[in-house]
Amino acid sequence: MRIASSSFSYNFLNQIQQLEQQQNTLQEQATSGLKVTLPEDNPSVMGQVLNLQTESAATTQYQNNITQLQAAATTSGAAMTSLQTLVNQANEIATEASSGTTSSTQLSSDAVQVASLIQQAVQLGNTQDSDGNYIFSGTATATQPFVTTTDSNGNITAVTYQGNTEAAESQISSKATVSAQVPGANTSGSGPQGLFTDSRSGADVFSHLIALQQDLTSGNTSAISSTDLPALTKDDDHLINQISGNGVMQSALTAASQMATTQSTDLTTQISGDTNADLAQTMTALDQTQTAYQAALESGSMVMKLSLLDYLS
Amino acid sequence: MMSLFNIMNMAGQSLSVQQQATAVAGQNLANVNNPAYADEQLQIQSATPLQTSVGQEGTGVESTAITSLRNALLDSQIVAEGSVTGSLNSQQSALQDAETYLDEQISGSTSSDGGTSSPNGLAADLSGLFSSLQTLSNDPSNISDRQAVVQSAQQVTEQFNQVSSGLATVASNLNTSIQNDVAASNQDLTQIAALNQQIIQAQASGGSANDLVDEREKTIEDLAGKMNVTTAAQSDGAINVSIGGFTMVSGGSTTDNLGTVTNANGQLVIAEGNYGAPVSLSGGSVEGSLTARDGALATLQSSLNTLAWQVISQVNTVYSKGYDLNGNTGQNFFTGSTAADIGVNSTLVNDPSTFQAAGVAGAPGDNTVVSALAQLANQSNSALNNQTLTQNYAETVSTLGSSLQSVNDQLDNSTSVSQMLASQRASTSGVDTDTEMTNLMQFQKAYQASAELITTINEMMETVVNMKTE
Repeated sequence: MRIASSSFSYNFLNQIQQLEQQQNTLQEQATSGLKVTLPEDNPSVMGQVLNLQTESAATTQYQNNITQLQAAATTSGAAMTSLQTLVNQANEIATEASSGTTSSTQLSSDAVQVASLIQQAVQLGNTQDSDGNYIFSGTATATQPFVTTTDSNGNITAVTYQGNTEAAESQISSKATVSAQVPGANTSGSGPQGLFTDSRSGADVFSHLIALQQDLTSGNTSAISSTDLPALTKDDDHLINQISGNGVMQSALTAASQMATTQSTDLTTQISGDTNADLAQTMTALDQTQTAYQAALESGSMVMKLSLLDYLS
Repeated sequence: MMSLFNIMNMAGQSLSVQQQATAVAGQNLANVNNPAYADEQLQIQSATPLQTSVGQEGTGVESTAITSLRNALLDSQIVAEGSVTGSLNSQQSALQDAETYLDEQISGSTSSDGGTSSPNGLAADLSGLFSSLQTLSNDPSNISDRQAVVQSAQQVTEQFNQVSSGLATVASNLNTSIQNDVAASNQDLTQIAALNQQIIQAQASGGSANDLVDEREKTIEDLAGKMNVTTAAQSDGAINVSIGGFTMVSGGSTTDNLGTVTNANGQLVIAEGNYGAPVSLSGGSVEGSLTARDGALATLQSSLNTLAWQVISQVNTVYSKGYDLNGNTGQNFFTGSTAADIGVNSTLVNDPSTFQAAGVAGAPGDNTVVSALAQLANQSNSALNNQTLTQNYAETVSTLGSSLQSVNDQLDNSTSVSQMLASQRASTSGVDTDTEMTNLMQFQKAYQASAELITTINEMMETVVNMKTE
């Protein structure tokens, strides 16, 4: 085949350009560690990565939700435990008072103590979180849940609930929601149980404490033993249930968090597997290409230097 | 028998033939780097012999023609392949521009959680919006969480707007380049007609017009790169050119020309000048631009518009039933209806307390509506082939990637074929310096020999003339 003068340089340049392009691609892969960066590199991998990264972001978000729920559950759990302590103290006072061996002075001072317990319980009921939202008001978080009515002596005679009985749920996975909220009171008989007052379990902490205080003031020890003590026992049982429910919920949240972490790791691994370049392979290929490039340059320049004109004197 | 004067004539003619041959070699050497040039050769043959008593006697050499080594088949293959390459090049460039505007690029180290992802595109923005809605659902009255939702939503709408306007720019640039290519093609047609005229005249007066033919071939190849052509060689040396079935050049004149018109759908298309009939092309950069514009780009723009509308309508349907912190309801979250005009309700941007997160009025801790909004991320849509919003978008990106990947592969193939054909043509009609140098030396020696013959005849004549002086 006849070779024109221009053929050689034309072919040589084409080959050099191809090698340069290969080198460039491999070098970019080695630098970024990725073998797929643009949709044109591998369209189906690109589509998969977009879906996987969305799932990964969602999983991370569920973990955030879980963290926030855990904080809320811890706060309400602490309040419940404190409340139960108060109720236990009231229980002890009631037990002692109903034994019939207490003096009236003791009964009066017990009444004062119970009054203080009521006030502490109201404070617990009106707990606010760091944003100023009331945690025991159901979803009416801007409304103070418990409002007191006091008599002329400064004693609380009634506590009214102003919140609602709804509990907001948060997503902890794509299929499950959890609520960390407990409404302060629920007398409707349906929905989540109220903490201080609940018609289904018969608990009514405020009313029972107020009744105890009034009975102590009036010295009605038989009412204390026949009505107040059993009532406070119901309250105590109810609170134990609530506390254990809170504990169960916290364990569920921990388990969900671990699952989300595992899922997150799996997704990250999957994405890496699809997109990462095998560094050893890439470096080897780059080395080979560079060698070929060098050889092409050397041989090309050797041939290009020769011409008949050099030898015609 | 030839007289001395005849022999001197013969030598003189030989000198001029060698000179002519040297000139042709010189012409070849001068054009060694001209890619459109075909190697020329001087055809020589013995001059008409004389009949003598001892048989036929040769009367020297004469040149008959200067021919150029062109292979018509290779030329037409190169023209055809040029159209293919031209089309694929303009498709590749248009689709790469679209890919750039989409801005889905995987990077390993720059994503916010340190993992590999495509952090700047719409997929990440949509993810961000739904994440911020989830965060808000844990504390629905939190003002800074509400602001975060509005900001994420604005990122989504801005990305939609940017991509949409970018694609519109690409389409508009394609239209501009189509118009430019059509104007340039008309110029090429005029030039081909002019060259045809000159070649016809040159051939009519004898001989071939090699350089004009080279130039005409180059012009045809340039034209084919823009639009695919059909050529028909005529017996008088002209080449007739037709495009899309319409004859554009016939002999030495143009019989038609090309223009752009806007069709019933508002798109720019190619039409011929005499009847305004549409011209359909199957190759060339104009065809490539049209294919990209009306194919992959149009599909991409329409998919994005469908997605934008689904985002707008689904979010608004859920959102408008919610209550904000002031007890109001019924507002929309997104404004607009396409990717180009999607926006966030400006009242909401200015006052995040108007975000309607709750399912009922007066319960700031109620997150029914904001949770439902967050859950839209996982909902399959019948309008999107039962895919979620992100799945649909991922498929749109993937489709563009496939189109571009296919064009890339085809272009690689076409480039290889073009290079191979160019190589073959160089081998047939390219100039080889070594050959021309060798020929030059040959002609030089022949010139010297003929000059020597003249000297010899001159001396012989002198001898004859001096025979009388005595």
